[in-house]
Amino acid sequence: MSDKITLAEGAGGKQTAALIDSVFKENFTNEYFTADDAAVLPQPKGRIAMSTDGFIVSPVFFPGGNIGKLSICGTVNDLSCMGARPLYLTSSFIIEEGFEKEDLRKIVRSMAETAAYVGVKIVAGDTKVVPHGKADGVFITTTGVGEIITDNVPSGAKAKPGDAVIVTGDVGRHGATILLSRDDYGIEADIKSDCAPLWKSVESAIKEVGDVHVIRDATRGGVGTVLYEITKESGVGVRLEAEEIPVAEPVRGVCSMLGLEPLYLACEGTMVMIVPDEKSDKLIETLSKISETKDAKKIGVITEEHSGLVSLKTEIGTETVLPEPGHELLPRIC
Amino acid sequence: MNESLKAAVEYIKNYNGRKIRMMEVCGTHTHEIFRLGIRELLNENVEIVSGPGCPVCVTPPGFIDEAVELALDKKVTVCTFGDLVRVPGTEQSLSEAKASGAKVKVVYSPQDAEKYASEHRDEEVAFLSIGFETTTPSSVIAVKNAIADGLKNFSLLTANKTMPGAYEAMADFADVFIYPGHVHAISGISDCEKMLEKGVSGVIAGFTADELISAIAIALKKSESGKPFFVNAYPRVVKAEGSPEAQKMVRQFMEETDAEWRGIGVIADSGMSLKSEYAEFDAEKKFGIERRSGRSNPGCRCGEILKGMCKPAECPLFGKVCSPEHPVGACMVSGEGTCSAYYLYGKDKTNVR
Amino acid sequence: MCVGLQAKVVSVNDGVALVDASGAKRTVSAELIDSLEPGDYVMVHAGSAIAKITDSDKKETEDLLSGLF
Repeated sequence: MSDKITLAEGAGGKQTAALIDSVFKENFTNEYFTADDAAVLPQPKGRIAMSTDGFIVSPVFFPGGNIGKLSICGTVNDLSCMGARPLYLTSSFIIEEGFEKEDLRKIVRSMAETAAYVGVKIVAGDTKVVPHGKADGVFITTTGVGEIITDNVPSGAKAKPGDAVIVTGDVGRHGATILLSRDDYGIEADIKSDCAPLWKSVESAIKEVGDVHVIRDATRGGVGTVLYEITKESGVGVRLEAEEIPVAEPVRGVCSMLGLEPLYLACEGTMVMIVPDEKSDKLIETLSKISETKDAKKIGVITEEHSGLVSLKTEIGTETVLPEPGHELLPRIC
Repeated sequence: MNESLKAAVEYIKNYNGRKIRMMEVCGTHTHEIFRLGIRELLNENVEIVSGPGCPVCVTPPGFIDEAVELALDKKVTVCTFGDLVRVPGTEQSLSEAKASGAKVKVVYSPQDAEKYASEHRDEEVAFLSIGFETTTPSSVIAVKNAIADGLKNFSLLTANKTMPGAYEAMADFADVFIYPGHVHAISGISDCEKMLEKGVSGVIAGFTADELISAIAIALKKSESGKPFFVNAYPRVVKAEGSPEAQKMVRQFMEETDAEWRGIGVIADSGMSLKSEYAEFDAEKKFGIERRSGRSNPGCRCGEILKGMCKPAECPLFGKVCSPEHPVGACMVSGEGTCSAYYLYGKDKTNVR
Repeated sequence: MCVGLQAKVVSVNDGVALVDASGAKRTVSAELIDSLEPGDYVMVHAGSAIAKITDSDKKETEDLLSGLF
């Protein structure tokens, strides 16, 4: 029997059913997971949040995670950023013909584990197979629905001058991990992706601290990009303390080797939270009790001046602009 | 900061001697001066301008055109440093060529390009060999490795440059050069001493906050006397003789040639290309690519901006056809280039205040 | 120009050095420096060790600036 995915398994017939049985069903089983055309779900109590995200990552497996775990964390974290408890997810797979079935199983298993950890249910899915060369291994899209647990929904437009800017962990680890996993630059370092679901941390922040003005997960483009978005949406400036920004040593090493800025590297389990400054100690204390956010740290403040810009207080006491990111990250020599 | 560095910072802030215009000629100095907010320390008596020194920024459009021709028409896999990918050619950049199907591979080093060629012997591979004294030896090592590996599918498209010609071309536009530490780690200090003989002052600077501040402070202090000076303020890396091994290796494979600098024009003997006995590794000769001068936008005033003769806002292209997304001239290419910083942050000081 | 990276030499073999910068490791050419040994600190650029580093930047600036201001 072939252990690679074939086109027939995406054709909708007997073989598709067999694939679903052997790979998906055993992992995604819950009371709502359906063989019908749509999942039927109880109505949540409050307002709902809904989000969708497509995941393409090369390589599919990387230190600290894989595309499956990433696809759950991504949508869970997007919902969490709105103060929404993740309830239900759907997942749609585009698989390249020839993909190892055992790898698919591993991916699906880690999706199930991550979902179980968060308490979110995967209720429906779809599988398509495309000819060899028409996709890169596997692409996954997840869509999620969550129940908003606060009247004061965080938003990128709610940052206020004087607020504290907090990161929930060290920055740039996912981006650095992927860069090294592709092995384009011959660099080795002991770095694992920070890929993690952060609902527990967000729930604690909202329930135990409250008045969280902004929550953003610093995925593509990293913390730097997220902060620039917030300056524009809120009409404020950000001033960071350069020496306070947490960067793991090997990430710093990789960045200096390739001439990259860690603030622009993607995170997949690190968020930016913005709260009134008087709440920042409490927030950091609360986050630090949860393993995914144990290294939470204040890195700067929201300012009224230089609206639309992110500035850095440097090691020599001067203030400089963090250049606005906007391009593909490429290593540089000059 | 230790006490002597604090004193140096205070000295720079309060400098009230004659007006000094310093010119750094190194992309990494541009970057670090920006990143460290060093211009914020300067009062109206001191100016630091970014001259030609970033190899990417001074690479003329014609070179990009040649690389695009190699990649698109000759179907050569073009390996390059990441910096070059977005640099505009006459018609298109490498990133645009890639979108039309060209094979463009970003590498960490020329040696990695050679290694890729040795692993893909059915594929023609060319490395875009740019850079100054610091970078050229790595390109030469790649050719040496290719010879040792018996490769027939590896070549260099050369646009290597040397700094002394640029120092001379810029000497009238600066009071003091902040010399690029890593260039002189290879070439030694003799070029700086020759400039001193011509009455041109300079200081070789390293790249950390401590090193840049001390180099600037030393330069200002030495300027007080009014006499020309030269100080190697990066002695932990720059030795008087440089790297004799690197100099010897480059001389074995390469020879001087005239070179075009984006925004400045041709400077005699400021380029390096492979000697004729290594023609099989010279992509221009191997693929019959004609060296061309390219077509710079005639409105672009980068040359004058590099020399400090005009401000970005006085350029007719600035902010109209020339922006960080679509850079026309060298000063807009790098995020810290004079025009780019001016465009993004709205002032010629690159700092917030 | 020239991003330089300060790194520690882990091993040297046949003109190639393995260097370590804050835990990021890669091999670079050791051909431009005479007599490189494990434990040496080097400046790395574009795949080659370009110079041996003989001091820290703090000590260097201390020496350069002492008594100047």
